[in-house]
Amino acid sequence: MSGQGQVSFRNIVKMHGEFAALKGVNFEIKPGEFFALLGPSGSGKSTTLRILAGLDAPTAGRVLIDDKDVTSTDARDRDIAMVFQSYALYPHMTVAENIAFPLEMARLPKAEIASAVHEAARKVKIDHLLDRKPGQLSGGQQQRCALARAIVRKARLFLLDEPLSNLDAKLRLETRAELKKLQRSLGVTAVYVTHDQEEAMTLADRMAVFMSGEIQQIGTPAEVFARPNSIDIAGFIGNPPMNLVPARYVDGDVIIAGHRLKTTTTTAGERDVVVGFRPGALRMTEGGLGARVDLIEDLGDTAVLDLDCAGIMIRMRVSDGNIPGEGETISITTRPQDIHLFDPTTRMRL
Amino acid sequence: MATTVVTSAGIASEAPRSDFGRILAQRERRFAAALLAPAFLALLATTTFPLLFLVYTSAFRMDLAMPFTNGFVGFENYQVLLSDERFWTSLLVSLVYTGSTVALQVIIGLALALLVIDMKRGQGWFRVIAILPVVLSPAVVGMIWRTFMLAPEFGIVDFLAINAGLGSKNWLGDPTLAMVSVIAIHTWQWTPFAFMVLLASLASLPEDIYEAARLDRASAWQRFRRITLPLLRPAIVMVVIMRTMVALTAFAAIFTVTAGGPGTATEILNLYAYRKSFTELSIGYGAALAVALLIVTIIISGILFALRRAK
Ligand SMILES: Nc1ncnc2c1ncn2[C@@H]1O[C@H](COP(=O)(O)OP(=O)(O)O)[C@@H](O)[C@H]1O
Ligand SMILES: [Mg+2]
Repeated sequence: MSGQGQVSFRNIVKMHGEFAALKGVNFEIKPGEFFALLGPSGSGKSTTLRILAGLDAPTAGRVLIDDKDVTSTDARDRDIAMVFQSYALYPHMTVAENIAFPLEMARLPKAEIASAVHEAARKVKIDHLLDRKPGQLSGGQQQRCALARAIVRKARLFLLDEPLSNLDAKLRLETRAELKKLQRSLGVTAVYVTHDQEEAMTLADRMAVFMSGEIQQIGTPAEVFARPNSIDIAGFIGNPPMNLVPARYVDGDVIIAGHRLKTTTTTAGERDVVVGFRPGALRMTEGGLGARVDLIEDLGDTAVLDLDCAGIMIRMRVSDGNIPGEGETISITTRPQDIHLFDPTTRMRL
Repeated sequence: MATTVVTSAGIASEAPRSDFGRILAQRERRFAAALLAPAFLALLATTTFPLLFLVYTSAFRMDLAMPFTNGFVGFENYQVLLSDERFWTSLLVSLVYTGSTVALQVIIGLALALLVIDMKRGQGWFRVIAILPVVLSPAVVGMIWRTFMLAPEFGIVDFLAINAGLGSKNWLGDPTLAMVSVIAIHTWQWTPFAFMVLLASLASLPEDIYEAARLDRASAWQRFRRITLPLLRPAIVMVVIMRTMVALTAFAAIFTVTAGGPGTATEILNLYAYRKSFTELSIGYGAALAVALLIVTIIISGILFALRRAK
């Protein structure tokens, strides 16, 4: 490994004509970290990754790797390995040749290449497929081949652009766990692009949440989950995501559909807010907020209820056995510490 | 027990269906044969029959200048041919002409395609202009080159040579220069074909593998050698095969420019066969030469197709 794999993005802007794909992006990645770029489709994650890889040049700003400015360094000289969403395997080469390619370019001795190829293939469990061409592999096997090609060179940075998005659900879960183990065992810095918040939550040490060309929050998955910075993030993270309800704030309480709920805030005064509470933070109680059960999605061990509170739609997760029936009216509440307050105009956390 | 029943039932219901399929396939074959027949007969009449007649003719002495010597001679024409120095010279000229024109077409065509594929603007115009020589008749191309391009002093090429300080050259009178000229003419006319085929093939290559190769630290040359060239190989081989067949049997452009001259400097085998048959009026020997050309063409195409299958 020729470097630590420490990354820093300084005010990166990327314009496509008039359109700003990135509007000034800043973040730091520590060596050995599993860093996720999370955000909805079109929010600029791939653009960020491509700028980091050196495949595209930023319009403004600087990229530093291991404290060295690499903004104008060609992709060839950055010592970065990448797994493409499309896998980008060389179609005319066998799996072994694909994996060997980066080593051949580095002019390693033949014997060393052969053993490194076997080692990498074994790590991702495709050592029995070395003689196949990419066209003769399943999607999952192609993905592993791309992975092996990326890890064989022991680059200082390991980039993955939605590597699991072309796999079926079951394989995605399996590979996700393996990916995490692989990154740990290699000890390499990984930057992982995904639009799937669950993937980012389970894999990442820290993550940056992208919204329309900007990073809105950086933190550990737990931090982002516990204290989302904005309405957009709150509505993006969690499955199902946080309930976001317009309400009136009065002296430390919020009033939803005529019902007062305590918050942890004590500021006096009155204003409009957006109240957020997670579906899992709602409890059934006597004398709470009245709601009619519209729909029940039974997931086996838990159920998600769609509730109608005087015209406001609220989702609630129930995990104990006592699930109300559809059409029943129940009464719900939540604890003050589970209530998040957002400004409806700036959309930021209060 | 139950399984046995199910299996036999399955076979029973399968049998009539496959019978039905066979009848359908048979009908389809008959219909296809009916559609094919006219074209097949036309092909027989225009290619196979003349070919057989050519082979038949080559077994005769048929000299229009000396008709009293005509008659069946068996393989005598071929015996003469094997010790005919002019035949071997023309065969060599054919091979040089074919080898150099095909190589030049592929190399220049590929270089142009690589240049044009990266052009952001004007690609369409370039394609239209590039295709022009291909649509011209080779005879017209020959005339254009003999008059506009290679004519002493006034031709563009000679004009440029004079201005470059090389002096006026006898482009079609000097044996070596004449050969160079006919090769240049053929290359000029047919490189656009190779260019178009290779450009289309190049445009169909996925872009992401080049990005992957950059990250794998392949240089521009390595990307060309290890990725572009292998992926273009089928297209290149196809171009080589098609252009070789045409170059071996080229005629009109050379005929109009040099007519095989000066002397026999540009006399490819095809032209020799023509001259023997229709200038010297030895139809039988000319036919033998044409058959020899056919055999050479078959051997070379056989080698090329074998190469295509290899690896
Ligand atoms: N070459 C381009 N020209 C114009 N717009 C582009 C180009 N590449 C990306 N974009 C736009 O930039 C935005 C961010 O793209 P991208 O980074 O690929 O998003 P994602 O977060 O889904 O990976 C998108 O709106 C996309 O349409
Ligand atoms: Mg993307």
